[in-house]
Amino acid sequence: MNASPAKDTAQPASYYEARRKIYPRETDGRFQRLRYIAIWVLLGLYYLLPWIPWDGRQSVLFDLPARKFYVFGLVFWPQDFFYLTWLLIILGLSLFFFTALAGRLWCGYACPQTVWTEVFIWIERKFEGDRNRRIKLDKAPWSLEKVLRKGGKHLAWVLFALWTGFTFVGFFTPIHELWGKVTQFSTGPWETFWVLFYSFATWGNAGFMREQVCKYMCPYARFQSAMFDRDTLIIAYDTGRGEPRGARARNADYRGKGLGDCIDCKACVQVCPTGIDIREGLQYECIACAACIDACDAVMDKMDYPRGLVRYTSQHAMEGATAHVVRPRMIVYGVLLAALVVGFFVSISLRTPVGLDVMRDRNALYRTLPDGSIENVYLLRILNKDTQPHVYVLGASGLPGISLEAGETGGTGGRVRHEVGPGEVYSLPVRVRVPRDEATGSHEILFEVAAEDGPRLKASREARFLGP
Amino acid sequence: MQRDDPPPLDEDDVPGQLPWSQMAQDMAVTLWPSFLAASVATMFFFAFFDPSLFGDGAMPPRWLTHRMAGYAVGFFFFWAICTLSSALTLYLVRTARQQGPRGGR
Repeated sequence: MNASPAKDTAQPASYYEARRKIYPRETDGRFQRLRYIAIWVLLGLYYLLPWIPWDGRQSVLFDLPARKFYVFGLVFWPQDFFYLTWLLIILGLSLFFFTALAGRLWCGYACPQTVWTEVFIWIERKFEGDRNRRIKLDKAPWSLEKVLRKGGKHLAWVLFALWTGFTFVGFFTPIHELWGKVTQFSTGPWETFWVLFYSFATWGNAGFMREQVCKYMCPYARFQSAMFDRDTLIIAYDTGRGEPRGARARNADYRGKGLGDCIDCKACVQVCPTGIDIREGLQYECIACAACIDACDAVMDKMDYPRGLVRYTSQHAMEGATAHVVRPRMIVYGVLLAALVVGFFVSISLRTPVGLDVMRDRNALYRTLPDGSIENVYLLRILNKDTQPHVYVLGASGLPGISLEAGETGGTGGRVRHEVGPGEVYSLPVRVRVPRDEATGSHEILFEVAAEDGPRLKASREARFLGP
Repeated sequence: MQRDDPPPLDEDDVPGQLPWSQMAQDMAVTLWPSFLAASVATMFFFAFFDPSLFGDGAMPPRWLTHRMAGYAVGFFFFWAICTLSSALTLYLVRTARQQGPRGGR
C-alpha cells in the first residue's frame, strides 16, 4: 500500500488521509432553495412518471420483456437503437457544454448521488436532529431514545430505498401490475431481485457512502477539470477580500487591525458535504453545491458586510480580468449540441413507423417449378411500429415477370395484402417466382411494403434472387 | 450562523465514519467503473441480440432464453468480466515500479 507519488494535490504523504465523519450542517439560502427545487422536480419526475397514463398505457415504460420502449406517444424498437446512441452522444456533449459554461452544475443539482443523498440526510435530520444533536447522539451511550432515533432513521431509509427500487423496476415492467404483485407478495424472481438490488444500491450510496462516492468513485469528478477553462463558473473564496482572516467583534474596526472580511467562523467548512475548506482554493472534491455560499452570505449579512466573499465567479473574474461567457469553446460545443438536438427531434418526427426484414430461406438456393419458372423462398417480417393497425401491401420488383406468393393468404398478381396490428411483428414466408429466362445467375430484387391507408408508411429492402 | 455553537471541526473524538480502507477503495475503483462499463455493454449487446432467440442450438441452457433471465445474466456476466479487467489494471498500476515525479508530471 504505497501512497501514490504522482498525486499533485497539496495533501502530504498519504493521500488517503485520516478523515473524520462529516456531519454537514444544514443551510438555508438562495442556492439551497434552488437545489431543493431541482430535487423536487427530478425526484417528482422519477417517482410519478411511471404512474402517469398515456393512451391507455404507462407514459414511460421500457418494456424489456417485450423489447419495446414507450416514451409518451412514441414507441421505440430494437431497430431504433440508433436513437439511444444518439441520445447518449447528446447527453455526453451537454455535459461538456454545461461543465465548460458553469462548472459542476450536474454534481450540485442533478446527480442522482447528490439528489438521493440530500433526501437521506433530510430523513436523518428529521430523526436525529441538526448537526450538533447528531454529533451528541453519536457520542452518547446507548439509550432507549438513541435506539428509537437511530432505528426510526434506518427504518425510514429502508422504506424509502425500497420504494425507490420498486419505482425503478416500474420503469421496466408495468407499475400497476407490479404494485398488485407486491401487495400480494407474488413478484417474479427477477422483479424481486432487481427491486432489492436497486434498493440496496440507493440505501448504501445515499445513506452511507454519500460524498465518498464523489471522492473515490466518480470518474466525472476527476476529468471534469479538463473541461474547465479560466472563464468557467466556479465557486471560489475571494482571497484578496477575505485575508487575513480572523475573529473580531461585530463592530470592530477590523480593517484598522489589518484583518480581511473573513471572520474565520468556519461556517463554510461545516456546511460542506465533502468536508473541504473552500478557502484553500478550488479542489476536486468540491461538488459545487453552493452550500458554502449560502452559509457565508448569512454570516456576511449578520456582520453587515457585503455578500459574496464566497461566490460563483470565474478564475478570470477573480484575477480582475473580463470573463467571457461566449468563447470559441462554447460556440463549438453549442453549435454541435444544437445541431444534434435538432437533428434528433427532426429524425424522430420523420421516422417511418413500419419496418421490413428479409431473410433468405436457408434450405434451398432455388427450386425449378414444373412450369419451368424459378422460385426462391424468403422469410419476411413486417414490423408495424405505429399505434394503430394497418393493412400492408407487399410487392417485389427488379426482374421482368416477377411474382410473389405468400403461404396462407395466397398472392394475386405479385401482390400480397395483410393486416398487421399495432406493435406487431408479422412474419410470413413468401415465394418469389421469375420466368426461367430471366433468372440465370444472381440478381438483386427489391421487396416493398406500403400501408394502404398511409402513403408515408413505406419501407423497402433489397434481397438476392438466385437462379441456375 | 451562530445558531447553537458548533463544536470545533478538528475535534478528534468526534465518532465517525472512518476513511475508506485500502480494501474498500480498491473495491470501489474496480466494481464501480466496471459496473458503468457493464451497463453500457449490456445495453448495446441486447439491443442487437434477443435472448429469446438464443435457444436455437443445444448450447445455452433453456432458462437463459427467457428474456429477463438473459438480460440479468448477461449484465452480471459483463460486470464480472469488466471487474476482472479493472482489477488487473489496478494490480498492474499498483505493482509497477514507482517513479517519483521528475521534472514535472
